[in-house]
Amino acid sequence: MSKNAAQWSAPPAFPTTHFVDSRVYTDDAIFEEEKEKLFRPSWIIACHESEIEAAFDYRLFNHPAGVPLIVIRGDDSKVRAFYNICPHRGNTILYDPAGNAKRMTCIFHQWSFDSRGNCIDISREEQGYQKRFCKADAGMREVKCEVAFGGFVWVNITDDCMSLREFIGGALDILEPYMVEPMEVFHFHKAHLRTNFKLWHDTNSEFYHDFLHYFNRITGMLQPGYFERRYTPFSNGHATVGSMQIQYDKYDGSKERAIGWPKMARGGWYMVDIFPGMTYNLRTSVLRIDTAIPLGPNEVVIEFRGLGLKRDTKEERDQRIFDHNMIWGPFGRNLHEDLLAVHGQGRAMRDGTDSRWVLQGREENSTIHDEVGMRHYYAEWSKRMGRPAYDPCREGKTEPVRAAA
Amino acid sequence: MQPEQRHAIEELVYRSCLALDAQEYTAFLALCTPDFRYAITTYSPELRREQVWLDHDRAGMQTLFTNLPRHNSDHSPLTRHATVYTVDLSGDAEANVVSALQVFRTQLDGGATELFAVGHFHDMVRLGGDAPKLARRAVRLDTRQLGYGYHVPF
Repeated sequence: MSKNAAQWSAPPAFPTTHFVDSRVYTDDAIFEEEKEKLFRPSWIIACHESEIEAAFDYRLFNHPAGVPLIVIRGDDSKVRAFYNICPHRGNTILYDPAGNAKRMTCIFHQWSFDSRGNCIDISREEQGYQKRFCKADAGMREVKCEVAFGGFVWVNITDDCMSLREFIGGALDILEPYMVEPMEVFHFHKAHLRTNFKLWHDTNSEFYHDFLHYFNRITGMLQPGYFERRYTPFSNGHATVGSMQIQYDKYDGSKERAIGWPKMARGGWYMVDIFPGMTYNLRTSVLRIDTAIPLGPNEVVIEFRGLGLKRDTKEERDQRIFDHNMIWGPFGRNLHEDLLAVHGQGRAMRDGTDSRWVLQGREENSTIHDEVGMRHYYAEWSKRMGRPAYDPCREGKTEPVRAAA
Repeated sequence: MQPEQRHAIEELVYRSCLALDAQEYTAFLALCTPDFRYAITTYSPELRREQVWLDHDRAGMQTLFTNLPRHNSDHSPLTRHATVYTVDLSGDAEANVVSALQVFRTQLDGGATELFAVGHFHDMVRLGGDAPKLARRAVRLDTRQLGYGYHVPF
């Protein structure tokens, strides 16, 4: 039966934990608050250690809270992160997305900085500043930075944040046995979408949308073990999905993976969603990492990385690249479908469309089509934001504003 | 090189674009040799390394084309615009052809057209027989951000 306006606007007949008001995806004020309350205090993956292997190698990263960062390996091999903002006149210090810089020199007035963030040169320092200001006063702003959990470079721009270990808790324990060997990024690309970052994370947090993917239906959903895959929630909004044996040979043109991953069962597939917008996705022969960088309530850039083992032979690496491209490459079978779906959500939820609710009501004992992953995320979201996701614009209240029809 | 030979090679490149634009995959493969190989590559300044985004032999392309209709895809048509820049003979039997490539996407609703990607075709064309055929096509992409993307190769 179709609905009239009142019925369409009425809260769904679920517990308030089982749906979300779609304004959490579109409201400008909520988005600004998310940058402060979700992204600023969180540890975020900026890049992987293999992207900055040598001393003075650097990588730029646009932090989801809006801060431009430089991640650089120092002369002492330590990886540090700094604002990519010159303390002099606020200019961008480094422009290329990656490179090697023994000195980081701002092109504007030639102030230079070393890989530890010290200012090492101020043009005509004494003539202009006499003894009132010197290089020691002009250091770069350093932010917290750690290399961990598979060699990823994590940054946190809040000085008094919780530790990375405390932030992750046990969420990545399921992947620890598979991240012992050094890895290497072989694939990177970005997708820029007119949609909300949480909609991408939602997609990574539920497998009910396997109906979207012909590949996943054929190789997974129709195969034994699929419906036993189980979600496990962790503190701070993270969640994991257990493995099964994917039947890759059921898809035309595909075959059982020629290479796998050390210690992982044949055809295995684990996922870990890290709050507020990152995902580890280890699928048999390739680890994929998603990092969502929101630009607005309805605009996001997603960084995609594909990783293999650093010790790969050429043949092994070629095979991992082939496997990656088949489902997750920009011309692959699955990624495009996911992106198309969240693009469609962004289109349907933009301001003025009268989109009202997003349902998260499936309960299947926390197995693969249960929407507990999303519910767990929005419980954390509500806690951190101080707003219930089911009614985010009614501060301090616990019940929905909107009356049932 | 005789003008007729150059003209035939250019026409091969242009016909390959028309076939893919029309999603006439059988017609596209008819322009290719039995040992045809297709690849999409790009350079990542972020990783400072080369990347391969697609790499198939003729059988792999055939399978890809068979699978495409089974997947959900953006239905907005693409228009490939190629301009043949250089044709260099390699002996009597082959020619290396470099073409500029621009790909446009036209929205179904309203028909707005946007530039979708730029790059180059690096083709190896086999000469002889009734008509030149594509033996290798390496699509070298400059554009690396494709939004919600596309299933169909360029």
